[in-house]
Amino acid sequence: MGAVPLPVSMSKNMGLWSQVKKVLGGVYKSYTFRVTIQGFLTLWVVTTCTFYMIRKMPNNPIQVKIEEFQTKQNLPYEEARAKVAGLYDYDPDAPFIEQYMDYMGDLAHGNLGKSITTGRTPVSQQITKYLPWTLFAVGMGLLISFVMGVLAGAAMAYWRGSVFDNVMTAFASISYGIPDFVIAFMILLIGGIQLEIFKVGDYIGGVDPQLKAGFNPDYIQSLFKHALLPVTTYVLASVGGWMLTMKSSTISTLGEDYITVAHARGLSQRRILFGYVGRNAMLPLMTRLAISVGFILSGSIIIETIFIYPGLGKYLFEMIGRRDYTTIQGIFLVTSAAVVVSNILADLLFGVLDPRVRVGGK
Amino acid sequence: MKRYLLLLVAFILVFSAVGTFSTAKPVAKAQDAPSGTFLGTWPYTLPPDHHLNGFDASGLDTNLGVIYRQIVELTPAFYMWATNEYVPMLATEWGFTDDNTAYYIKLREDAHWSDGSAITADDVVATYALARITNYFSVFSAGYVSDVVKVDDYTVKFIFAGEPSLVAERAILKSSISAAASYGDLPQRALDLIASGAASDSEEWTALKTEITEFRPAQLLASGPYTYSLDDVSDTYMTLRWQPNSIFSDSVKFGEIRLWAGETEATTPLVLSGDIAHSTNVYPPSTQQAFADAGIRLLIMPRMYGPALLFNYDVYPFNIKEVRQAIAYLIDREQSAFLTNGLGATGTVYMCGLLDSSVPTLLNQADIDALNHYELNRDKAAELLQSVGFSKNSDGKWADADGKVIAAEYKFPAEFADFSAAAQDAVDQMNQFGFDITPVSTPWQQTAQDIRDGNFELSVWSWAAGSPFASRQFFGPIQRFNYVGLTDGQKGMDFPMEFDYNGTTINLDQMIKDASNGLDLEVQKQRAGEIAKIINDLMPFIPLNVILSTEPWNENLLSGAPADDDPILQNPSADHFIVLYLLNGTIAPAN
Repeated sequence: MGAVPLPVSMSKNMGLWSQVKKVLGGVYKSYTFRVTIQGFLTLWVVTTCTFYMIRKMPNNPIQVKIEEFQTKQNLPYEEARAKVAGLYDYDPDAPFIEQYMDYMGDLAHGNLGKSITTGRTPVSQQITKYLPWTLFAVGMGLLISFVMGVLAGAAMAYWRGSVFDNVMTAFASISYGIPDFVIAFMILLIGGIQLEIFKVGDYIGGVDPQLKAGFNPDYIQSLFKHALLPVTTYVLASVGGWMLTMKSSTISTLGEDYITVAHARGLSQRRILFGYVGRNAMLPLMTRLAISVGFILSGSIIIETIFIYPGLGKYLFEMIGRRDYTTIQGIFLVTSAAVVVSNILADLLFGVLDPRVRVGGK
Repeated sequence: MKRYLLLLVAFILVFSAVGTFSTAKPVAKAQDAPSGTFLGTWPYTLPPDHHLNGFDASGLDTNLGVIYRQIVELTPAFYMWATNEYVPMLATEWGFTDDNTAYYIKLREDAHWSDGSAITADDVVATYALARITNYFSVFSAGYVSDVVKVDDYTVKFIFAGEPSLVAERAILKSSISAAASYGDLPQRALDLIASGAASDSEEWTALKTEITEFRPAQLLASGPYTYSLDDVSDTYMTLRWQPNSIFSDSVKFGEIRLWAGETEATTPLVLSGDIAHSTNVYPPSTQQAFADAGIRLLIMPRMYGPALLFNYDVYPFNIKEVRQAIAYLIDREQSAFLTNGLGATGTVYMCGLLDSSVPTLLNQADIDALNHYELNRDKAAELLQSVGFSKNSDGKWADADGKVIAAEYKFPAEFADFSAAAQDAVDQMNQFGFDITPVSTPWQQTAQDIRDGNFELSVWSWAAGSPFASRQFFGPIQRFNYVGLTDGQKGMDFPMEFDYNGTTINLDQMIKDASNGLDLEVQKQRAGEIAKIINDLMPFIPLNVILSTEPWNENLLSGAPADDDPILQNPSADHFIVLYLLNGTIAPAN
């Protein structure tokens, strides 16, 4: 018995449906689509967890302010509570789920909410105020330490066993092992106080307060001058990691067969170093760099605090102390988004740099 | 691409190097301003958080603090702790009315705001109207004052809601007066609302309160010789600038007050480098030593609190008086003080809930003589424990008749170097004596929360307070961290405040609340003496030591600091000497 032919209209619908399925299937199988969806899911999970966890911290914004009034103004609890009541647009007794739904509703409209403790300033306004400083200083520090680390690491591997390698490995190990805040204090106390190489007060903060902001040489100079200490600290604290990773990766690459073949083919040393060794050795570092780019946004809390640098990290630290939930959430969300996006970019970039790792060979 | 990258790096390095050796252009100073810059520090916030509203939590109180607000917005008077007297500032006269139903202040008639307009009684009435709506001044939140009335252009009367009070007097004389003109029509609307008899929980009251706290004055009208705008607030420091119209403009010696941002970690190198001449931050003993080594003088002043060992009365055996007394005897409080804050702390002497420095003025001599000093005496401690059935077991631990060892967890705030040092020393001393105490460090917010929740066995928090009144000093921690001072069912220490004592039922909570009521100092001394003796006997907490403020003062930059034995150094931060000495010109640039 032959197949019963479908009515024409149904046949057309089936054809359309299979087309849609095919397109959807294609979209779903798309690597970019999947990592993007994963990114959104990650952000939702991070946002939800953050929302829950910061409310589980001891004290809330109102309690912190009551403590402050009790301590600084010596007020009895009831007086302090009465004084704080109404200062903040926040109800600590509101059900958790209600607070969560309100927050997610605002977020769906692109609204990060208003700061609880700082006069109801929009969180997005706060972030855009402090973020550029962090991007500038930490971004510059990351760029410099990455470039220096990669170059030095490759050289250490190439001349491995030499005095240069031994000295630089020792330096990298020390740099990697000393916490950034110790380096910051050493720079200030040794360079600024003991040796008096620079005057500490001239380098603290984001820019000389006596200069008018604007695109003029004095102001730009001051920006770089004031970023010098945080950037130096960041570079000294992180360059060792890049150097050691690059050295290890380069040594491993130097032992590959294709390098031996390249040598056998009589290729120039320069071409082997930059075209073969360097490119392949840098692959593992690219992922780390992409992730580090994401972490730039959270700044470096301690470095920014020590140098009174007006970045997002220092601001986050202050807001955690005040339990300003909306601001903390906003900064965490932006930071998480940056990490997720940079991870996605790292995945995609890795696929471009090394076709072997592309999922499904696509 | 690589070439561009290298160019970028080179550009950055060159610019950084150029910046290193460049100098900033100076900004012109105000005309006729005195020369010199006072270099201090205060952890202010940045705009838009930072604003000029004196009736909102993130306004002037937060950003100028109790010290610097007083040189921008003057108070009626300045309190001297050593003599218990007030020095005139904005007011020329003050006092209780003859019938003691009110308090009055009379303003100087030559005082002006920074815009040149006169400071009058209308400004005082407006200030208190705004403060009443926002519940921002303690004279209202504590219920001392029911109304504020203008008598004439320069005289204001504060009508007491109940008994006249010296506590209310201090609150009135210490509160900064704001310019009515800075707040638009809000003061008048506040006065109208109060006159209408509206309740403080009514919708219109709440709406006006919100409007007042959200109001952002465009400019700060100062009564003091310094003022500032938000343009003077940078991430590095903020600058208070001299203005010519204050009654103190001719006497001050600085054209600018520069306040560096940041707390201890940020200000330490700045003090050492001479960028900060005076700081009120708290520095650990090692840093204090570094300051001294660098030739920076350390001014020792009261901080009016210290760490106390807190007991949870629901935990056996700390609900037994003799056990608490034994602990008071066995801890070496001088050692505790040294480990808490180096030379910037002293062991507690009188052990009665009042600061040692205040005891002579707040108690009668007979009551002072009756106090047990609990001087270090471990034999006495052992004797007390034995008197309630404890003895040492084979492990050398103190145990009761059932063999239950005196054991507990001692929670302390990890971030507070002074409190954690005091706690760990107390643990060591108790364990050496034969207790089994385990130190547990937690984030400070968690420690505070646990104390309030009664979720602790032993802990540490502050005792006493920066107030010259006994009721305030007794407040912490026996009320602050006890069920009587907490809400929502929190138990805190759970020390019973109503109990039979020497055959009489007493309410210790009410006794403390009433201790400083009225105007008769002798009566207040008697009340305080009764409370002090009860606390001294029951030892509801152990006041381990009293922390002193050790403030760096760079004499290469500043002159005019008081000598170490000057009575004004008895003033704590709330009445800091630099307020008076800056205004009257005693403090000046060195050289």
